[in-house]
Amino acid sequence: MSQTIESFKLLLENAFSEPLTYLEASQLLTIKVQENQLFATLKTLKETLKFDALIDHAGVDWPNENKIELIYILFSTHHNQQIMVSADIDRNQPTPPSVSSLWAIAEWQEREVFDLLGVTYKNHPDLRRLFLEDNWVGSPLRKDYKDDFILERPW
Amino acid sequence: MGLINDNPENPFKEAIPGSPAFITSIDKVVNWARSNSLWPLTFGTSCCAIEVMMAAGAAHHDLARFGAEVARPSPRQADLLVIAGTIVKRMEPLLKTLYDQMAEPKYVIATGACAISGGPFIYDSYTTIRGAHEVIPVDVYVPGCPPRPEAFFYGLLTLQKMIIEGQTIAKPFERRKPVLSVLPPRIKLEQIRDELVKNLTARSVTDLNQNPKELGL
Repeated sequence: MSQTIESFKLLLENAFSEPLTYLEASQLLTIKVQENQLFATLKTLKETLKFDALIDHAGVDWPNENKIELIYILFSTHHNQQIMVSADIDRNQPTPPSVSSLWAIAEWQEREVFDLLGVTYKNHPDLRRLFLEDNWVGSPLRKDYKDDFILERPW
Repeated sequence: MGLINDNPENPFKEAIPGSPAFITSIDKVVNWARSNSLWPLTFGTSCCAIEVMMAAGAAHHDLARFGAEVARPSPRQADLLVIAGTIVKRMEPLLKTLYDQMAEPKYVIATGACAISGGPFIYDSYTTIRGAHEVIPVDVYVPGCPPRPEAFFYGLLTLQKMIIEGQTIAKPFERRKPVLSVLPPRIKLEQIRDELVKNLTARSVTDLNQNPKELGL
């Protein structure tokens, strides 16, 4: 069932009513979506295009642009294709929708992003810390994170 | 061994149940026996565990030569805690629990840069403990990133010597400072490299004299 990227792009564009924004930054086929269309896009990818596996979900902190970029890497065992979905959300009030209703594994991956970047997902069934202690204050993977324990590099 | 040490004046009083009259003459035998049957706990948190527990324990280097090959998965049966790897904040209470669960006499070897000082994670890390001595008392430090099996054996032999002489941190009035066990000067880096080259060439893994420019790197 493997297809070339071009024929797969046609399939992809037929599934969406609006034109897609591609990003050339990555080797993966990457589409950029707005935060309010994030859940609908991922739902279409899951249900229409049979992207049945959420391989990875991560967040990237961009303090200068005052945004947090959410990355979803999806894999379709049906089409044997991989796609990356990127969405920028507000850094001060990061409340994107949870996709744990689409892929159950997203529950844990979103807990990790919540833990380390402080992104509070809406409609998440169990948003607790995953790696850090329960009484931790702050989000250590944000670039401007500081606490008393960290030893500054002396050079 | 099970008795509470009421009298810190005599460090060996708790070691042997029975009359203290025999103790001075049995000291040496007990210390010799303890030093030659150090059973390590199977405990590794990162890459040092591969080097120390698997490379040192496997047939080529053979930890059994020093009587420390009986790796125990339970801290109740182990004498030696080899801290092989990075200790992070979440690991700290678990490490402390493991140490507390070990029966006396217990010894600790910390291997690798991470367990000694935090190593590559000493700066800008929000979670790495800077040295295992911040959590539990350590007897011997073995430097390296990770240490070669020879270096680990040297650390083990240092600990054995300390046990025979009755100088470990489990007896706090005997010695307070951990020992840094660096390989002796007669072992040259070239010798270790030659051994590596010999092993790798014999197994045809790679051509060690190749020119990187010819490979286009």
